[in-house]
Amino acid sequence: MNDVFIRVDDRLLHGQVVVSWIPYLQAKVAVIADDEYANDEFMRSLIESSGPEGVRVHVKTIDETAEFLKDDRDDKILVLLKSIEGLNRLIKKVRISSINIGGLGAGQGRKRYYNSIHLSDDELKILKDIANENIVVEVRILPKDKAIVIKGN
Amino acid sequence: MTYSDYFLLSIFYFWASSTSLSLGIGYYTIYRPVMAGMIAGLILKNPQKGMMAGALVNIIYIDFVSTGGSFKGDQCLTAIVAAMVSILYDLDPLEASALAYPFGFLGILIWKYRLKINNIFVHIYERKYKENKAPDISVYDGLLPQLLLFVMSTLVFTAALSLMFLLNDAVNFKNIGALYYIGLILVILSAFNILYKIKNKYNFIIFGATFLAGELLGIRAYILFVLIILTLLFTVDKKVDFAKNIFKGPIKKKDLVYSWFIWMNYSHSCYSYDRLMGLAFAHSMKNIFKKLYDNKYQISEAIHRHTEFFNTEPNMGTPILGYIIALEEDRRIKDESFEDISYIKKGMMGISAGLGDSFTQVILAPLFISMSVMLCLDNDFYPAFIPVILLAALILFISYAGFMNGYFKGKEFMLQRIKNVKQSKLHTYFPYMFSGILGMSMSKLLFNDIRPYENIFTIITIIFAACLTFMRKRGER
Repeated sequence: MNDVFIRVDDRLLHGQVVVSWIPYLQAKVAVIADDEYANDEFMRSLIESSGPEGVRVHVKTIDETAEFLKDDRDDKILVLLKSIEGLNRLIKKVRISSINIGGLGAGQGRKRYYNSIHLSDDELKILKDIANENIVVEVRILPKDKAIVIKGN
Repeated sequence: MTYSDYFLLSIFYFWASSTSLSLGIGYYTIYRPVMAGMIAGLILKNPQKGMMAGALVNIIYIDFVSTGGSFKGDQCLTAIVAAMVSILYDLDPLEASALAYPFGFLGILIWKYRLKINNIFVHIYERKYKENKAPDISVYDGLLPQLLLFVMSTLVFTAALSLMFLLNDAVNFKNIGALYYIGLILVILSAFNILYKIKNKYNFIIFGATFLAGELLGIRAYILFVLIILTLLFTVDKKVDFAKNIFKGPIKKKDLVYSWFIWMNYSHSCYSYDRLMGLAFAHSMKNIFKKLYDNKYQISEAIHRHTEFFNTEPNMGTPILGYIIALEEDRRIKDESFEDISYIKKGMMGISAGLGDSFTQVILAPLFISMSVMLCLDNDFYPAFIPVILLAALILFISYAGFMNGYFKGKEFMLQRIKNVKQSKLHTYFPYMFSGILGMSMSKLLFNDIRPYENIFTIITIIFAACLTFMRKRGER
């Protein structure tokens, strides 16, 4: 099985990820799993050209990401998703052992869950359902932070 | 210390820790320990001593990178306290930095609660907007958060000051001999720690070479400084191309400059967990929308659209602001939908944050600030200002050029900027230069201030600290 780290963060490939997470994970491949950006020629090339040195960045739709993860690879892979809804779709297509929640902005009926992480009731329910399937769901903004584990029902 | 000293110092601490109202460069200049220590020293009429204490605090915080408001201690407060104790109680700068170190955690309170408290202003703004009162964004992004921050920073500073006086009454600082060695361990640990972090196989060789050059041959720090500046001048790409200024609509140059000015001053003013820089983005669009719309409610609605969650690196990310202004203007003229503007902003902000933090905060700031520290440790106090001024000019240039090119060239400029930054030779040279600066700094510290060969304990402490770092790093692997 591939060495995959999955993070939900609506800022995708931003400062915390580039400066802290990528060196911490020693990830060599970053996959941005997002249908909207994958289908937008300009945004895709913008994001793909922005990876730090030594890291290959791909922008793929959720379906393509699932296929990509099924192939065996040696490198550590970081998958970034913008939303819980996208995560829910991905997780149904490919087996994953743990997920990291790193940043979700306020709005759309969301309430503050922890610092800069906001979740709506529906999203929290989805996460709890995921946790019920024996997948570790942790809230952790930076590698050095203490992980808050979301437990199933 | 008089009341006017206290007053000036607390105003200064507010100004430096706010990182607002200083054209965006406060974070790269007065917030840095070497400069903060110098200004605190200036207020207490001994700028050189203050600067020296600040420089040592700066070495302790040399690996400091803030990504999204998260870091270990408040370096600015630490530097101010170090300068104060060093001048008021006539302590050695090393003793002062050791004593001031714990005070940094007091300052972190501000950062920790600031993001929570600023949510209040976001909510008041939202409520007023829903009540159709067309709230003024500059009040909720600028005035109120800054007033609150002033109260908070003054409280923290007063607490730090009281604690300092109380502590000195309980145990006379002059009598704590161990302070000197604690300071020495902190400084050496930090220097070696960062040396390990530099991923380059020659880091120790270069460190050793400049260390010996400074120690044995007595080569002055300014020689290394001049060499590095010359290398930068001759090797780093200086190509600057500003787009031709063509104005198709009501937005003119002075509107762009004003919008940039607001952004630079207030990007972190109302930094909140809810929106991060959202309100600041909207704030910098205020004068633009005043040009594009006549009706007060239309203006307010357009500004409100931009208060959504936004976070980027404020200097590298300015093309987003320029480009969004161009889009807003274009859509207004053609009377087209604004729907995709939010999507474009969100896509670009993360990229420029990743690109920006790994360049301005990880390379530019440590490179120039450490050169200032190095010159200061070699007792070149006035030349130590030069790297800081250069850094400030560079940051201003990056942000201004980005803003204007974003407006005139649009999204293609973002691609170009990514390419330029990624191809910059600074990435290659930085580890060499930084190792060299560290070696020279350490040699000047030992040569001018510590003189280990006069004291066996000092030698033991240095070796102990170096071994400690070595063991810890081995353990991590």
